[in-house]
Amino acid sequence: MTCHGVTRLHLSSLKRAEKVPVHLMPCEIEHNGLAQVSQYFTATTKENKKEKTVSFRGRGLKGQEISCPQGYTGLVLKEVDRHGSDQEDRTVKVTSVFDKLTYWNLETPPTSDDTVVMAMDWPELAEAIHGTVED
Amino acid sequence: MAAKKKRTPNTHNDSWVVIAASAVETQKHDCDPDFVKLRNPSTLYMLGAGDVQLYEVKAFEEDFHSWFVGQTVQRDGKLLFVTQMDPLYLILPYMIKSGQEQGKFQPVDQVVKDDEFPASSRLLSCTRSLTSLHHIAEGKVGSLKFHRYSQERTLNWLQKKVERTIVALKKKHICVGEGVKSTTYVRVKTESDNQEDYLRYAHGLISEYISEELSKALLKHLLPELKSAKETEPPSKKRKLSDKPVEAGEDYTKFNSGDFARKPPKKMTAAQKTLAKVDKSGMKPMSSFFSPKTKAEKK
Amino acid sequence: MDLKQFEADNSGSCRLASRIPDVCRTEDCCLGVDEAGRGPVLGPMVYGICFCPVSKKEELKDLKVADSKTLNEAERENLFQKLDEAQSYVGWALQILSPNMISTSMLQRTKYNLNALSHDTAICLIQYALDSGVQLKEVYVDTVGPAEKYEKKLSQLFPGIQVTVRPKADSLFPVVSAASICAKVARDHVVKGWNFAEDLGEIDTDYGSGYPNDPKTKEWLLKYLDPVFGYPQFVRFSWSTAQTLMDSKAAPVHWDDDEEDGEKAAQQQNNRSMLSYFSASAEGDRAQPTHRFFSERRLKSLKSL
Repeated sequence: MTCHGVTRLHLSSLKRAEKVPVHLMPCEIEHNGLAQVSQYFTATTKENKKEKTVSFRGRGLKGQEISCPQGYTGLVLKEVDRHGSDQEDRTVKVTSVFDKLTYWNLETPPTSDDTVVMAMDWPELAEAIHGTVED
Repeated sequence: MAAKKKRTPNTHNDSWVVIAASAVETQKHDCDPDFVKLRNPSTLYMLGAGDVQLYEVKAFEEDFHSWFVGQTVQRDGKLLFVTQMDPLYLILPYMIKSGQEQGKFQPVDQVVKDDEFPASSRLLSCTRSLTSLHHIAEGKVGSLKFHRYSQERTLNWLQKKVERTIVALKKKHICVGEGVKSTTYVRVKTESDNQEDYLRYAHGLISEYISEELSKALLKHLLPELKSAKETEPPSKKRKLSDKPVEAGEDYTKFNSGDFARKPPKKMTAAQKTLAKVDKSGMKPMSSFFSPKTKAEKK
Repeated sequence: MDLKQFEADNSGSCRLASRIPDVCRTEDCCLGVDEAGRGPVLGPMVYGICFCPVSKKEELKDLKVADSKTLNEAERENLFQKLDEAQSYVGWALQILSPNMISTSMLQRTKYNLNALSHDTAICLIQYALDSGVQLKEVYVDTVGPAEKYEKKLSQLFPGIQVTVRPKADSLFPVVSAASICAKVARDHVVKGWNFAEDLGEIDTDYGSGYPNDPKTKEWLLKYLDPVFGYPQFVRFSWSTAQTLMDSKAAPVHWDDDEEDGEKAAQQQNNRSMLSYFSASAEGDRAQPTHRFFSERRLKSLKSL
């Protein structure tokens, strides 16, 4: 991306965006594209009061569901192919939405000290740092 | 066991998982939001539909993550946050520069003009920009259009930002003490974090958005009894490289606690008064934060 | 043999046991330990114990349980039937270790190898018999690893019990052979009736013996390889057969404790943090290291999409 190019977010795509389950995995999977997530992953996930368990590639995972902070929405954006256009500006569309996500740890039980849980502090802090100051 | 495969670089990422302020979704006059680059090139920003609101883009990024999104895999494991941003932070450097160069009242649309970052002028379209300009500038009497940077106003404005941030830190029970932070240590969320710690921490956060010079001035404004240069001088770079985890970004906010005058000053500054007021809520039990009666948050 | 309990959740470990014969609580008993399904890349490993009063050793022999290795499946079924009929003086217990449990144990951050898993399971079953009031005096075990070392370990754990660990113990001691039959019958049943937790529709159950060198097993492993998930939980991911197939045909997956990847990542992280201290931005702004609020939360500014 060039320094000054603008990337437009096509909001009209929101209407067609489906609500989907999203999982943050504790590994890097060298793949982009289709996968039988519900058949292999969701179908074998077990859940008790404290945590969810599942395995992936023979490794035990423990996870929990967290909600998007209040006033925030989960969006999955995808770049719209430029079809070889020489235009500098790019566009992205919303392909899916979510209001909660499940994150998975490799073997360790989920706690409030997990980095992604802590990262969810940011929106509220951002509101304090950036909200309007009264006179 | 089979040999481990080398990681190949993920070069052509074209999708992102984002948590965005819901207001981003509001369309205005058939306009769409734009991701743009502004004067701070290390950050990506977003201007909401019709440029009415500015947002900042941050990313949660840790090695070894990927996403399952519905029935797909997204290799890129970043989680993006699109949160509201006060446009004044970005207008401020232009005002300061103009104040130093011109020293006179200027039309603000002349001041916030940047050939290198043409999107900068769109900052003035943000609803809040013009209505809150008085926080950082004086207006020419009889004219709404001419402004001049005022450090005094800016410091008062930033002080309020620090106060708001302290309230949020307490509400979220964020540990601000200087204790060693490492994943191998359990974070202890104590109520005993003292008010200087909160002040320094919040000042450090606000300093992420202002120049180093202004950051120093703000610290002096918040704690005027810190007079000697020695106390406000940043610790040497060496300290950063030592294995002691010195928090980045706080180098200029840290001072030797031994040198720090803990005696109450004869006269409390405005900031200290607010701090003292705010801090009372920190002494209350955790549960009180959730009770509407004692809610510490200011509206 | 009622396997409902295991079949309800075939991703973990499950104990099945006969009623304890009254006579085993009053008379000195002998106990045999053996396992079934250690080698296959598919299905569970089953550990079995069988016990009876020392005085009934001959009667057990008369059931012709000896030399279980030479028996076919039908003969084993038949013998298990006979053992079950002898429940007035013969008891048994099984521990079924699911392939998922084997995979996740062996591939754990702190590796838990198959020998350790086997020993611990055997020990657990002997302890179960003791806890149930069986008057154990003699224990016979088919060895896993060096027999002498294993025998010493068990003797120390169970003082007062005569422990005998031998290779091929199932052909030497009828009570071990009986344990072996119980374990094998259970494994056969579990494999045959495997209830795939995955939602994969009709699955071809012609997977052969489950041993990696069986052509049918190989064919099945090729057919059911998923490019992202690898295999259903029926497969032991920790077996090199499965690993090799995934390495060549499935998407590479990297974990933070992968030896090579992990080391490199640590290095990169170091380099990155050093750089971030010194790199001033293009505009000549101060080199701004991130506040710890952000670094602790792995949050950073994003330069571009």
